[in-house]
Amino acid sequence: MTGTHETEFLERLLAGEQQAFKELVDTYQSAMRAVAYAIVGSRQADEAVQDAWLAVVRSLPGFQRRSSLKTWLLTITANAAKNRYKQNRREVLLDDLPSPHGSIGDDRFAADGHWRVAPFAWHEDTPEALLSEDELRQCLEHTLLSLPQFQSSVLILRERQGLELEEICNLLEISLSNVRVLLHRARLKVFATLEHFEETGQC
Amino acid sequence: MLTCKEMVARSSDYLDGELTLGGRLLARQHLLFCRNCRRFIKQMRLAQAAVRALPEAPVPDADALAKDLAAQRRAQDKR
Ligand SMILES: [Zn+2]
Repeated sequence: MTGTHETEFLERLLAGEQQAFKELVDTYQSAMRAVAYAIVGSRQADEAVQDAWLAVVRSLPGFQRRSSLKTWLLTITANAAKNRYKQNRREVLLDDLPSPHGSIGDDRFAADGHWRVAPFAWHEDTPEALLSEDELRQCLEHTLLSLPQFQSSVLILRERQGLELEEICNLLEISLSNVRVLLHRARLKVFATLEHFEETGQC
Repeated sequence: MLTCKEMVARSSDYLDGELTLGGRLLARQHLLFCRNCRRFIKQMRLAQAAVRALPEAPVPDADALAKDLAAQRRAQDKR
């Protein structure tokens, strides 16, 4: 959303138009939840998003448009979440958890670094074709839910929300190298899930 | 020359354009000669696209939330 369209949209929000708020919620709530989830975890994420929405309404008249609407909303969300967290998240940041279908680990490679079990051809080569199988879609959703908090948020913000790595660093206050590690781990688990499904035809 | 294991370890950085120029050249060179890793990168891209294409779960009570927020916004001006 840019330019005149955004100006018009902001005017509708400032006028308190319900339909405009509905669009705002539908468009940005999941990105806001991903940010909150990374910072406070699942138990407080919804409350943090609620806090953020209230802050958004309060701050709307002062929105200067120095950043995009999306960046502004996500920054408010990160601040709302930071006001809530008490746990020491630095410790949980790089903790990993097993994924239902594993990852691409060292056992896939021979001692000389070549593939021991090479990737094989998949049946489908478009996302639409892959996701047309209900079972695969559910399987993928299950893997995403199994990801540790930070991996899940970083993956959603990058792949689904299209944020730059730099933006993710700033919002979550983690280093670029950590963002890269988290993203890579999450992607390999998604890869392993798809590969498993292509191989066995089941989750 | 990179090994396949090294190529896979750098695959996300390769996809995100986070490799240095030298690293990028090494990766391209490896991919030029390695069919398995070419397939792996192609499938990683497909996996990314699949995550992107997953349907969005609807926000529970989005209507109620929108109504509430709009009302609060209007109330603000009256203060
Ligand atoms: Zn290779």
